[in-house]
Amino acid sequence: MDALDIRNLRKEFLFDGGRFPALKGITLSIPAGMFAVFVGKSGCGKTTLLRLVAGLEEPTEGTVGVRGGGVPLRTGIVFQEPRLFPWLTVEENIAFSYRSMGKRPTEETLSALIESLGLTAFRRAHPSRISGGMAQRASLGRTLLYDPDIILMDEPFSALDYFTRAALRDDLLHLWQERRKTVLFVTHDVDEALCLGQRIHVMDRGEVVRIFDVEDDYPRDIASMSGLKREILDAIGNGTCCGAHHAKEKAAEA
Amino acid sequence: MRRLSFFLPSLLLLLLWQAGSVFGWWNAFLLPSPQAVGETFLTLLLNGTLFRHLQASLGRVLVGTGLAFAAGFPLGVFFGLFPRGCAPFLPILDFFRHTPPLALIPLLILWLGIGEASKIAVIILASFFPVFLNTLGGVAACDRKLIEVGRSFGLSRGAIFRTILLPSIFPHVLTGMRLALGFGFRALIGAELVAAASGLGYMIHDAEMLSRSDAVIVGILAIGILGSLLDALVLKVSSRIAPWAFQEDDVHGRP
Repeated sequence: MDALDIRNLRKEFLFDGGRFPALKGITLSIPAGMFAVFVGKSGCGKTTLLRLVAGLEEPTEGTVGVRGGGVPLRTGIVFQEPRLFPWLTVEENIAFSYRSMGKRPTEETLSALIESLGLTAFRRAHPSRISGGMAQRASLGRTLLYDPDIILMDEPFSALDYFTRAALRDDLLHLWQERRKTVLFVTHDVDEALCLGQRIHVMDRGEVVRIFDVEDDYPRDIASMSGLKREILDAIGNGTCCGAHHAKEKAAEA
Repeated sequence: MRRLSFFLPSLLLLLLWQAGSVFGWWNAFLLPSPQAVGETFLTLLLNGTLFRHLQASLGRVLVGTGLAFAAGFPLGVFFGLFPRGCAPFLPILDFFRHTPPLALIPLLILWLGIGEASKIAVIILASFFPVFLNTLGGVAACDRKLIEVGRSFGLSRGAIFRTILLPSIFPHVLTGMRLALGFGFRALIGAELVAAASGLGYMIHDAEMLSRSDAVIVGILAIGILGSLLDALVLKVSSRIAPWAFQEDDVHGRP
């Protein structure tokens, strides 16, 4: 069963009176439960793709089918920055999707999740008091508790230091193996893609240019995957960076 | 120890005042000694005069700033949410923002009479803008990325307003309220100096008529202390309601 079915998806941004094609007609499907990675240079359209799947942007053309047996599936997104609410404690942030509906998760569920994220000691702290890595864990927890069918992750670890990044990557794999949710993971880091992805989509200038299926077991030894790494790097190529998302942000600021 | 050093400059100022009076650096009529002021303070306190005027002023300030909040907060949110539609109204608001409320007293008395209404109107005029402008600024400064988190969880516009926008503008509204209390208080004293039969401003005016500079100083001190206490109270209450808004300050050693 496919969790995600994308047909001829196009997105153009308007700015400075011009049109900028961020996505140039993408068609692909992702099976349910797959860990799919999208890798490419900054501005290749990977974030735009994720935002379209999340419903945060409207496509210029094409469809994003997010279904499971005909019913629309829920998507949850983890952003590049933690985006925690400064007025809520770590625990309240994680339970945000419940709070906003005026409900509360069971103490058991919440405690188990907080424990699995290693945040038990900080559950009553406010975001200003915790480190970037902890904040990103809390952000991941917030999306996990929302219990989406598809988890979208937009370079979630790119702002973290090397060690925290490696630890969070392992935790994420662990959580994914437990829950087997469909994950769409965007990154510009080829090693990260190799470490995580069952299927790696290489994007360049608004298109998916190559798809690699990776069947190696987890945890993976990146050092032994240098051949695949070479191929991915070649596929990413040296094309000029177009910077769709950033261009759009600049246009919005102006 | 920190408490003591916090009040040290105030104590030094008091000491300087005392020294000046003892050594006769100035005429005691122009600035009476701390003892003389203290004695007058006690007299006015014990015969109830001070309390009566204080109560009158405080009542007006609370009603006035309360009404200013009731108008300024929703309008600030509305203008913040619909900036384009509201832009044509800004010149009118700008005009009133630059008009000192005291300049409007003659008209206010003409329209509302010499009673409480005209004085409360002065306070509203003075304290509306801090609330309005800070709320407006808070809505404009609300992090769009946090709003997006709400959207990504499928929240309705109403839920985003309630659970994300309102808490995020709280510190701005709080600043607005603190400024509003100060502005309102100052405008009120002005109004009471010009036209009133009670209140701290009237008390000062009355003492002036009787050439009682000691009573004038008691009035000034009462105003300054009351203003500081009100501000501290607002801070205390809001830090209870929203401790997160004050954590940055903690780091810098706020007493």
